[in-house]
Amino acid sequence: MELLQPSSSEEATGALGNGSRALAGGTELVPLMRDGLVHVDRLVYIRDVVPRGIDGSRIGAGTTLAELEVDPQIPQALREACTQAASPQLRSMGTIGGNLLQATRCWYWRLGFDCWLHGGEKCFARDGAHREHAIFGNEQCASAHPSDIAAALLALGATLRTTRREFAVAELYRLPTDDDRSVTTLAPDELILELDVPAPDASTYLKAMDRRKWSFPIVGVAAARLDGEIRIALAGVAPIPWTLDSPAALEDATPLPGTAYKVEIARALVRRALEAI
Amino acid sequence: MPELRINGETHSFDAPVGRSLAHVLREDLGFTGTKVACGEGHCGACTVQLDGVPTLSCITLVHTVGTREVTTIEGLRDHPLVAAFVRTDAVQCGFCTPGQVVSAAALVEANASPSQDEIRHAMSGNLCRCGTYPKIEEAIRTWQD
Amino acid sequence: MARLIRTEKEVEGRYEEVWIVVDEDALDQWPAGPLTTVGQRVPRVDGLMRVRGQAPYTADLQLPGMLHTAVLRSPYARARVASIDLESARSAPGVRAAIGPADLDQLTDEPGYVGHAVAAVAADTFGQAHAAVERIAVQWDVLEPLLDPDEAVRQKSFVSDVAKYARGDFERGLAEADVVVEAEYRTQVVLHNSFETHQAVCHWEDDGITIYISTQYIWGIRASMAEQLGLPPDKVRVICHAMGGGFGAKNSPGDYTPIAAELAKRTGRPVRCALTRREENVAAGNRNATIQRLTAAATSDGTLVALGGDFINAIGFSGWSATTEGPMKMLYACDNVRTTQYPAKLNLPPMAAFRAPGFVEGTFGLECLLDELAAKLDIDPLELRRRNYADSDRTDDRPFSSKNLAECYRRAEPHWAKRDEVRARSKGPWKHGVGLASQIWYGGGGPPSYAWIRVGSDGRAQVVTAMQDIGTGTRTAMAQIAAEELGIPFDHVQVSLGDSARGPFASISAGSSTVPSMGPAVRSAAADAKRQIIEIAAQRFHLEERVLDLRNGQIVSADGGSWPLTEVTGLLESGQILGKGARGPNPAGMVVLTFGVQVAEVAVDVETGEVRVDKIVAIHDVGRVINALGAESQVEGGIIQGIGHTLSEERIVDPATGSILTRTLDAYRIPTIADVPEIVTDLIDIPDEHLTNLGSKGLGEPPIIPVAAAIANAIRDATGADVRSLPITREEMLRALREAEARQKERSGAPAAV
Repeated sequence: MELLQPSSSEEATGALGNGSRALAGGTELVPLMRDGLVHVDRLVYIRDVVPRGIDGSRIGAGTTLAELEVDPQIPQALREACTQAASPQLRSMGTIGGNLLQATRCWYWRLGFDCWLHGGEKCFARDGAHREHAIFGNEQCASAHPSDIAAALLALGATLRTTRREFAVAELYRLPTDDDRSVTTLAPDELILELDVPAPDASTYLKAMDRRKWSFPIVGVAAARLDGEIRIALAGVAPIPWTLDSPAALEDATPLPGTAYKVEIARALVRRALEAI
Repeated sequence: MPELRINGETHSFDAPVGRSLAHVLREDLGFTGTKVACGEGHCGACTVQLDGVPTLSCITLVHTVGTREVTTIEGLRDHPLVAAFVRTDAVQCGFCTPGQVVSAAALVEANASPSQDEIRHAMSGNLCRCGTYPKIEEAIRTWQD
Repeated sequence: MARLIRTEKEVEGRYEEVWIVVDEDALDQWPAGPLTTVGQRVPRVDGLMRVRGQAPYTADLQLPGMLHTAVLRSPYARARVASIDLESARSAPGVRAAIGPADLDQLTDEPGYVGHAVAAVAADTFGQAHAAVERIAVQWDVLEPLLDPDEAVRQKSFVSDVAKYARGDFERGLAEADVVVEAEYRTQVVLHNSFETHQAVCHWEDDGITIYISTQYIWGIRASMAEQLGLPPDKVRVICHAMGGGFGAKNSPGDYTPIAAELAKRTGRPVRCALTRREENVAAGNRNATIQRLTAAATSDGTLVALGGDFINAIGFSGWSATTEGPMKMLYACDNVRTTQYPAKLNLPPMAAFRAPGFVEGTFGLECLLDELAAKLDIDPLELRRRNYADSDRTDDRPFSSKNLAECYRRAEPHWAKRDEVRARSKGPWKHGVGLASQIWYGGGGPPSYAWIRVGSDGRAQVVTAMQDIGTGTRTAMAQIAAEELGIPFDHVQVSLGDSARGPFASISAGSSTVPSMGPAVRSAAADAKRQIIEIAAQRFHLEERVLDLRNGQIVSADGGSWPLTEVTGLLESGQILGKGARGPNPAGMVVLTFGVQVAEVAVDVETGEVRVDKIVAIHDVGRVINALGAESQVEGGIIQGIGHTLSEERIVDPATGSILTRTLDAYRIPTIADVPEIVTDLIDIPDEHLTNLGSKGLGEPPIIPVAAAIANAIRDATGADVRSLPITREEMLRALREAEARQKERSGAPAAV
């Protein structure tokens, strides 16, 4: 394996693809490489070439969660999502761009079971141990997306600028299909450079966890009000961050036997989030 | 040969890409005060500071450290926090303790008199299986005594 | 004089009859209460070394030429190895040796759980060893695993005999009862997760072997490895100067020590075998799950007239069956008790002792059941416990050597009396409540254990004994005891331990036995040295021995004379005064137990199932306290571990394959600093007048025992919901709340909720 240290984002994207992977904070990629879940011939170290810092509504993709959680400019939902994400060290290392691209915590997937999401035939969680798993979009794969930040950005209506395009955060994610098991639309040689997060009138992020801190969400609820419009998004409930069209949409959830309790928690947190904004 | 700045001194190392900072510190350079308890970024035992920022050395690739200053427990041996941890009994088996001190040192550097909430927020990534947490809180609350 | 006795030896609640040679314990106990150093708050002597990262853990040891091991562990819960090819591993880069089922008893060709060791490779680096293991080609015949404990009972798949116990007439008791409660409780598998994983470095030198190991029992490793290797025990040297946590799982050599020894033998090099965190969570032992189907019956005045239960211990593939029924048999004065315990053998990783094995689980069931009974009787839960107070051990009618549980209850009263105040804090979805639970457990320790002490011409003392400090503060407690007895300053005592070649036999550090087993031996060694010092001083100063004493580093005489100790010891130059001491016998005809009660304040968010523990008051009777600071740390640590067991920790198994899914510390959730409640520690600190020259019992385990039941009872107080399954996840909490709502509706005549 080799490590490339490009001097510009163009140089970085030129080196990506074909067994090359972008490395920033490393909190996700390094363990996945060690576990053999991601095969990498060449690492492209992008820490010094991806924008970092906060300027009004614009956030460099290389900004760490620790930098975001103490910044008074960013919307409350995003700040609360950062504050409650992961552990202090992981927040200091991990970037917001990387956070959006993290993989599920599904234990079957993480332990390398030949599951549907890995390209196999079946989802082991659906018939197996799945209390931390999905209540939406879980027909093929019951994994839950763990990003608190993605839910906050969905509710806030953030947009992304990559080396190729600008688009809504919602368009970063796709439910995996039989033909393509990936959960994002990012191309192998595409880098997230910057986010634009419009300032809402009010926003919040509420998170149910198994511990008071340093846990992935059982259910995370982000809600934002902007020009009279209210948007709700959930973390930990579907293979991708999940936009909830209305509180009533929770009744359309398709929980597994072991995840029905998540619907109940989501109802309470959605109601509280709406009350808070 | 690539170099690391560790506790104010320069050390060269020879390692393949992919090797962790923790591995180089412990196995190659003899800084065994840094412990590895999970090896995958979940427990905080391997915490060192990079330019003052608490960082998990077990999932930091050594070749990405660059010119950042590495501070390990060996560089904090005379920090007043060390005496505070001993005085308050914030140590049982001691395996997580160096990592706790490294995180705590970064906390008090930024905020000399942290509140209970601030301590709990900053220290929540350093797990302790023996349950020394109440004493750790006391040590950080009273480190200047 | 040495005396041969036949006695019961108890570790972790397991008794065996043994012959033991004991020395008489001739010393009178010290007066109760804090003394010069004993009973004081003393920071630990090895604290600085540990905090600075300078303590020499096995994990830190680097020997020249040392090789590293990776182990091939079965990916199947039950299988046969049809064929295995180690040659591809042997030819991999850096590999020095590879062994398989044909080479070592601990490597199996019939794995019985996911994680069972099958083969092992030693290489120059761990990475090379790991890569080589991946190359080992195995043909597995995969068999259907047995994973369900109830099914194991049906099939009579047991690791040992079914244990039946009865006293009185259970059926008659039931017939006499005014109120009967029946309930099923379940406890989960929890994982020790010591931060230093299980590991050993083995090094053959001359005709013997040196084993550096993270262990709770140097002498047990020595005996076991000597037997396995066919060596005289003195050819096996076991070293453990610092170790990173055990909690019961590091009492034996495991598979990693024999593997390292065999690979070291084959390669002629030192070999490390260290489990990874993930291996630790499949192959290093666990607290087994239990199913408890319990009955309690009482007359309307609250007298327990029958207690009974079927207890299934879901042991896994191997291990021993802890007395989950123990609290039901021992805690209360009930005449009619009937229990059956089934040690289910399953295709799951083996159990290992974990901090009060059996009693943590059994206390959850029994003490929740008692509160359910109290509610039906409409009797105050604390009062119900008092009405059924046991004045002697009801399993064999022996007296207790001491029991101050009534005093624990008395001290609990002011905390218990705050119930209305705490409940009144309820606001919106957050409901507050208070619960309590009692604790009974062993912790008396026993012989044999020995210590030596040497006093040099500088008047300083060194305690020498081949025990281990597993992080509990043993070095410090032993130094305090020696300093107190010798009458010299605490900082004039050093403690040398951790090496079987340097010091006499010492107790296992398990079963809350370290202080009660070792402390009296150290005191007796110090007394022996002190007696010699006084004898010499009497000759030096021409005084009678009986008028002389040693206090605060001074020889003092009854008539007011005072000389620095060094005036006597200084005469020795390079000579030394050598004291030796041994642990005397436990009191004959008595049962030695620890007791306590904990009061928990909790808050429950009834909409999201979040449980927050706000406060735990821990009141325990463990005899004399040696180090008030270290004791507090032990109590806090036990409670915090208990909170993890109660709320967030659970080993999860794939129901189809028996594979362990929670191998990592993001999925297996031990408490963080943010999960810690206010903890109030209150130790009774009355010496057990019948137990040794110290009157001290062990403290490591008692504090974890009542935590889960106290929290569950507080949850019932806050919400009316009966949580009967650990951990109390949000799912379990919400289930119990909905069940309670349905019950409430039924009672009030409204249709039950769907």
